[in-house]
Amino acid sequence: MKPSETIPASHTAIHSRPPPPRGFWGDAWQRFRRQPLAMAAMLFVSLLVTVAIFAPAIAGTKPVLCRYKGRLYTPCLGYFSRQLEPAIFATDRFRGTYPQNLKTKDPASWAIWPLIFQDPYRAVRENEWPGRPANPAKDEGRPNAINLFGTDQYGVDVLAKMVHGTTVALLVGFVSMGLAGTIGIIAGALGGYFGGWVDMLLSRVTEVVMCVPTLVLILALVAFVEKPTIWKTMAIIGATGWTGIARLARGEFLRLRSAEFVLAARASGAGPLRIMLRHILPNALAPVLVPITFGIASAILIESSLSFLGFGPPPPSASWGGVLNDARSNLAMWWLVVFPGTAIFLTVLSYNLIGEGLQSATDPRLRESRK
Amino acid sequence: MIHYMLRRLAIGAMTLVVITWLVYGLARNMPGTPLTVAMGETDPSRKLNPIDLERMKKAYGLDKPWYSAYFLWLGNVVQGDLGRSISRKQPVTTLIGERIGPTLALSAAALALTWAMAVPLGLYASARSGTADERAVSFLLYVLYSFPTFVAALFLQIIFAVWLRGTRWELPLFGMNGDATDATWLARMLDLARHAILPVICQTYVSLAWYSRFIHSTMEEVVRQDFIRTARAKGAGPSRVLFHHAFRNTLIPLVTLLGLSLPGLLGGSVIVEQIFTWPGMGRLFFESIRERDYPTIMGLTLLFSLLTLAGQLLADLLYCVVDPRVSVE
Repeated sequence: MKPSETIPASHTAIHSRPPPPRGFWGDAWQRFRRQPLAMAAMLFVSLLVTVAIFAPAIAGTKPVLCRYKGRLYTPCLGYFSRQLEPAIFATDRFRGTYPQNLKTKDPASWAIWPLIFQDPYRAVRENEWPGRPANPAKDEGRPNAINLFGTDQYGVDVLAKMVHGTTVALLVGFVSMGLAGTIGIIAGALGGYFGGWVDMLLSRVTEVVMCVPTLVLILALVAFVEKPTIWKTMAIIGATGWTGIARLARGEFLRLRSAEFVLAARASGAGPLRIMLRHILPNALAPVLVPITFGIASAILIESSLSFLGFGPPPPSASWGGVLNDARSNLAMWWLVVFPGTAIFLTVLSYNLIGEGLQSATDPRLRESRK
Repeated sequence: MIHYMLRRLAIGAMTLVVITWLVYGLARNMPGTPLTVAMGETDPSRKLNPIDLERMKKAYGLDKPWYSAYFLWLGNVVQGDLGRSISRKQPVTTLIGERIGPTLALSAAALALTWAMAVPLGLYASARSGTADERAVSFLLYVLYSFPTFVAALFLQIIFAVWLRGTRWELPLFGMNGDATDATWLARMLDLARHAILPVICQTYVSLAWYSRFIHSTMEEVVRQDFIRTARAKGAGPSRVLFHHAFRNTLIPLVTLLGLSLPGLLGGSVIVEQIFTWPGMGRLFFESIRERDYPTIMGLTLLFSLLTLAGQLLADLLYCVVDPRVSVE
């Protein structure tokens, strides 16, 4: 009470008022935070995002930062795109092996190396890192101090492959479900808002896509595109996975189009596009977000099963499912199964848990029943 | 009722035409033809010369553009002819007939096991709802649900076929039968069962987790309703309330689920059959895509879509049978 005596009366009135009511999302976030499993899953996904972003600094054979012939370079960016690797190392004939070349071609050079000196696309050779033996190939590469998760039959480090494969696993989820979400929301919004023949047509199209068994359609599409790349796979998963989202979005738009706030918006002269985007969509987003989150989990599953079945992008590419595919022909190399398998499992589990948490945080029916 | 059925059948037929038309277009436009893919991959020297290729194309009707070839195919299908497989030189119906048995054996066993375990598990979870052991079981099922089938299959293969090799627990890695062809009927059945254990486990566990969670959540909804409270107030014991009052009311959504599981029963699981090289329908589809075997791709697509549509119709009809309050009109 002490401080309030010095503050004018009008001020205390403001302070003693209850805090401003939280919005819908703030409210949902509060409820989401109270679920330890969902929060742990969220933490795991953020960890994956961090690993994906810093992948070249975690595992690689190219320096994160180096000083060469008087200038600073970041060759590790070459892992993201070949063009980002400074051209000087190509003209100086480094051929991808940095440690020895840096020392011999410029004795004054120095470099900061990735945490793990291993390459996701090739085996590290003998003495490539001074005093270190070559990666064991065939089925000799069980996990050891140098190759923490072992090596595959060509001697490529599994941990490095997995670190770089994280990008693929995350991108698959976000890109394909971003696409599926966009198609689904647009189809559902148009059908639900306009009704009539638009709805009729869009509903029929949705039903047709729903009736084709997903894997049949995906396998047919993957065989159809000539050279599968990871982006084409994502596009295919997105183009086949939007039906559930469209149905939900349609239901929400159908329900909300006769709501009073929509009537008010229409009375004040808002056009259909504005009403759909600014007024209905924010209110319909929460229920649609739940199947999208579950969709991310299933997209990751589909991509890894495709790579596993040999329908994925051709090597060299680092994908968790691809490592598992290598394991099929050599089951004695258990480390090719355990590590990527666990990674896929944990990622799928995390997205499912997040989806579950989101559902119980935003679904009003579940909320009431808790009390 | 008859009006409703007719309308559903008409819509279903239209959907089938659209689906098959789409897949036909996709299949015919995949890079490579069944003639070039099959010959060129095994032996480059056996590649057909252009004249022979043209002749064979004509023989298989591949010289026509896909949109007109589609109507030829459709016309044959209406007359009950699915065509002949190009790569296997057999009628598609024979091929499907060969593969349907193994798939059915696998999925029927998996489905029976799933239901036999899912119902008790779901009921157990509802009876002990909120307790520590229920939460542990539910979380375990959830974890199981997120476990990718192919990872589980590889784990099982490593454990039972590699680590336990030479012990009495060793299980065969793949295939459906061992080498012993002259064995007795009983021995052959046992051999088949041993081969089926791992694939059946793989097909069972995901649906087990899903179904028992489904039963649990529908039970949760039912138990909150007034008639349950009334039953309790009138002195019905907990087990009587659970089985007699609550569970009977969860049958409605369960029956729908049964209808929707029909396509999976015959369609098989592409991934499981592929990993365990089980000679079923899913594997046939996978192989026919690889071989660009259009007639087989189309026959299977037709069958799968037909089953999906039939399953949906069955679910809707069963719904009306189980719940007299719902009518199809």
